[in-house]
Amino acid sequence: MEMEKLTSAEKSAYIKAFTAMVLGRTLDKKIVNAQRQGRVGFYTPTMGQEATQVGLSMSLGREDFIYGYYRDVSLLLHRGAPMEAIINQIMGNSKDVEKGRQMPSHFSYKGVNFMSVPSPVGTNLPLAVGSAYAFKLRKEKGVVVATFGDGATSTPDFHVAMNMAAVFHVPVVFVCENNGWAISLPVEKQTETEIYKKADAYGMKGILVDGNNFLEMYKTCTEAVNNVRSGGGPVLIEARSYRMGAHSTSDDPTKYRKDEVKEGDAKDPLIIAEKILKDLNIGDDKLVEKIKAEAQRIVDAKFQECEKIPPPEPITAFQEVYSKNTWMLDEEVGDILD
Amino acid sequence: MVQALNRALNDIMAKNPSVVILGEDVGVDGGVFRVTDGLISKFGPERVIDTPLAEIGIVGMSIGMAISGLRPIPEIQFQDFIYTAMDQIINQMAKIRYRSGGEYTCPVVLRAPYGGGVKGGLYHSQSGETYFAHTAGLIVVTPSTPTDAIGLLYSAIDGNDPVIFLEPKRLYRSVKEDVPDNVPKVPIGKAKIIREGDELSIITYGPMVPTVVSTVQKNNINADVIDLRTLVPMDRDAIIGSVKKTGRVVIVHEAPRTLGLGSEIAALVAERAIDSLLAPVIRVTGPDSPFPYRYEDYYVPNEKRIMKAIKRVTEEA
Ligand SMILES: Cc1ncc(C[n+]2csc(CCOP(=O)(O)OP(=O)(O)O)c2C)c(N)n1
Ligand SMILES: [Mg+2]
Repeated sequence: MEMEKLTSAEKSAYIKAFTAMVLGRTLDKKIVNAQRQGRVGFYTPTMGQEATQVGLSMSLGREDFIYGYYRDVSLLLHRGAPMEAIINQIMGNSKDVEKGRQMPSHFSYKGVNFMSVPSPVGTNLPLAVGSAYAFKLRKEKGVVVATFGDGATSTPDFHVAMNMAAVFHVPVVFVCENNGWAISLPVEKQTETEIYKKADAYGMKGILVDGNNFLEMYKTCTEAVNNVRSGGGPVLIEARSYRMGAHSTSDDPTKYRKDEVKEGDAKDPLIIAEKILKDLNIGDDKLVEKIKAEAQRIVDAKFQECEKIPPPEPITAFQEVYSKNTWMLDEEVGDILD
Repeated sequence: MVQALNRALNDIMAKNPSVVILGEDVGVDGGVFRVTDGLISKFGPERVIDTPLAEIGIVGMSIGMAISGLRPIPEIQFQDFIYTAMDQIINQMAKIRYRSGGEYTCPVVLRAPYGGGVKGGLYHSQSGETYFAHTAGLIVVTPSTPTDAIGLLYSAIDGNDPVIFLEPKRLYRSVKEDVPDNVPKVPIGKAKIIREGDELSIITYGPMVPTVVSTVQKNNINADVIDLRTLVPMDRDAIIGSVKKTGRVVIVHEAPRTLGLGSEIAALVAERAIDSLLAPVIRVTGPDSPFPYRYEDYYVPNEKRIMKAIKRVTEEA
């Protein structure tokens, strides 16, 4: 392969990307195991989507605003959300910014402009268009990013969001993390077209990219995001990867599929990333092993630390419904906590 | 209850070739709660349909199927996700018969698991029965036992009106009973008096029924316990008959208090039996807040709260 001249900033960006992917994978496995032991209630594994998320994150700035979804662990980590914030949300403890109100995997972290995730699939997409409209009106530099699965492209929200984003020519980047499955439904049964082609019908650019390759992802997203940022209008990026885990810890995929990509396969985004580092002479086996060992140490330590954090006070479950509680709720909570 | 529903669906599909099932993950996977397990291998993918992820499409298609002679039983994976189909439910499903002068009907049986019990937080736990009950044109039912689930499903599929069939997911696997070979239909609009007593009437339904029954048993409460089973149209005679006998009323439901079914029950009692009342009517319900993940047990009415209400109404002179 043709050798590119890499600046030292690029080299460290790639190492940072690989590190975030490894951290995401390591954390993922830790949580899935903890769930099996009953230490965590529920989780949606993210394995297989690390490159998609990290490559996307590499192309974004601090000022950009994210409407993410429940699998975006590696995106959060790369963007600089502390790992504790993710674990605390999973545990719903007193340091969880959402105060134990939401199911695990429904993250929120304002520190990196990551909006709280709802469960109903697709419903965040029109909101992204609204935020982008606000950015445009105020002539701010940021773009708004909405991530979602392949299943979400069937929802009405997806279609209205695409249409309105194009009509209003707002700075929004739709990123479909196509992992091939929506619980038991393969993407071929979700839609008769390729997802990125749907953009065409709405009058925006649609781009297909290999979501298993963080470098491809980074380069493609950077170009697309820059174009959106400079007023080029919205874009739809379809990043193809594979959901390597179960849909969630409540799901049994053997009911409906044979796993096509397993950890360590040539298509595993971590294996691809390792190869990239080696091909570019940025890292060798020693560096890779060091990053992996360090990730395991960090994940184990943070997890242990977070497990010691006490639960939130029960009353927090009944606060912040409005700016000021209603008399009805005050009365009801009085009865409940009495 | 999962097995009972599965059995009834098998039965209904075998008897009536017009019945189709559609929804997310209902086919190959057998449903996330396994209610439709095995149906696709028996009846084929044309009658047990895995749909794309769009509740509004699932409901809208079902309405069209019903208009054109099929008997669809759509499943919404969690009742919480039905809200993206509310326009179809309220503005179409509920009004087809009325707006066509009775020339067209809409016999859809829309199944949806509802309520807490799976640590599902805000979006996998809601009890939205009021939204449907408030829409004229919809029958709303909710079983609390496996046998009633079968009997109500039989009646629902036999009728000619759209039915919102709410399944208390808390009871999917927690209530067990021996279901007879031949389950009779449970008539729509008929409550069940589970226990008889003289001191008060406890009116409840769906997920709260076992909690109420165990509270009453454990504490030796001398109460009528009424399981409504059908929320619309409500069994007025069962409610008023009981209140006239006892003069004291506690209503228990998991949905939030404000404009919950309890409000309607209390109004019925006030209109028709106020002279019999010996104490204020008390509601024990979920609070007027979203359904929380971690403190689910605080949200859902429990024995302690039900007992407090019972004491309040029975100690009133
Ligand atoms: C509106 C709505 N319907 C159904 C569900 C239940 N559900 C949760 S995730 C999911 C599949 C989503 O698939 P996809 O969009 O491809 O995302 P992935 O889980 O594969 O990352 C479904 C059906 C939901 N959360 N919201
Ligand atoms: Mg998917």
